[in-house]
Amino acid sequence: MASVDPAKKRQLFERLSSIREIVFGVQDGVLTTAGVLCGLSGAVSQHSQVALAALASTAAGALSMAAGAYLGARAEKEVLRAELDLVRADAAEKPYTVQEGLLDELTKEGLSREVAYRVVRLLSTAPKVLTSTAEAKMFGLGGPMTSKPALDGLVMGIAFLVGAVVPLLPYMLITVPRYDLGGALGATALTLFGVGYFEGWLAHRGDRWRSGMRFLVIAMSAAAAGYLIGLAISPLGAAAG
Amino acid sequence: MLKPGDPAPPFDLECALDGRVARCSLAKISTELVLIFFYPRDFSFICPTEVAGFNKALKDFIDEATAVIGVSIDNVDSHLRWARELGGVAYPLLADPDGDLVRAYGVFDDDEKVALRATFILNRKRNVVFSSSCPLNVGRSVSETLRIVRAIRTGQLCPADWKPGVEFGPTDGKF
Repeated sequence: MASVDPAKKRQLFERLSSIREIVFGVQDGVLTTAGVLCGLSGAVSQHSQVALAALASTAAGALSMAAGAYLGARAEKEVLRAELDLVRADAAEKPYTVQEGLLDELTKEGLSREVAYRVVRLLSTAPKVLTSTAEAKMFGLGGPMTSKPALDGLVMGIAFLVGAVVPLLPYMLITVPRYDLGGALGATALTLFGVGYFEGWLAHRGDRWRSGMRFLVIAMSAAAAGYLIGLAISPLGAAAG
Repeated sequence: MLKPGDPAPPFDLECALDGRVARCSLAKISTELVLIFFYPRDFSFICPTEVAGFNKALKDFIDEATAVIGVSIDNVDSHLRWARELGGVAYPLLADPDGDLVRAYGVFDDDEKVALRATFILNRKRNVVFSSSCPLNVGRSVSETLRIVRAIRTGQLCPADWKPGVEFGPTDGKF
């Protein structure tokens, strides 16, 4: 029988919990930057100005996403902590509410009432274990409490930068009109397909190609919409100039 | 919920008694008073204090010519295992899995689908002479129930917090 090292598995789950920030950050970095490049290419004719504006947008986007992820995770953690403190105070005052609540949850999950009763009784011999089990089973707490706001922010910021570099780099390296945008969009398409495929692989899904195609379609739709909007507002720039 | 003066609905149900399955019929109980206590479920963390508490005080109730009966919606097998878990119960635990008796006494909690934590004391005519119920999360006082049984048996006017040895109220009814 294959042995499972709980500590290693826990570490793996904790690392995987950052996958949301990585996927979200890369996807947003690629899409935002590709969108900016498409939009500006439609509105501005000078290659270097488009690249400069996209660079500025990338820096602002990475900082904004990092700060957003940090503040979001921190707010979530603080609110959950406050709620958890209330629950723990209540449990300390009326331990039977925890016992009865956990018993009900275990029963709903399929244990017979008698077996659930024995399990809760055993857990009650170690109040801390009873409380932590009850928090996980009754309130679904555990996962969100392990989130690390600073790490989440850092991961999100770096992921956005990595994503942004994908369309930006070919656009800056290829200076031939039309080909610059084509290179950026090609790299964007490949990367988004890769992110979708990677997500499918992580989730052990059979339809990884479909997952990749979904990302690709969304990206291309956003890019096309950005380009069309840029084209639509370009007369405004000409009028202002 | 039945109130003092109401006739008690009869019953004839399976029960767990002294580690065996038996039958319990209200019509066959000959004691002066009958104490029926309803509780929500076997294998819970409040009920055992009551079930065990009434078992511990059983001799005191018998001395007061009072039969003690516990009722829940669990089946008789559950009662047997539950009684064993508690170290034995020497009074009948009635199995009312369909909840008919619980409903007849008006103590079925429709939200939780269990019996309320209700207590009834029946007199010789098997009319209700006392009824009360507690929230599901609050256990009853066995000693208070015993005090009420003793007070009822005096047939006298018993002032608040009366207990044996305390003077009765006036007999002219001007209480």
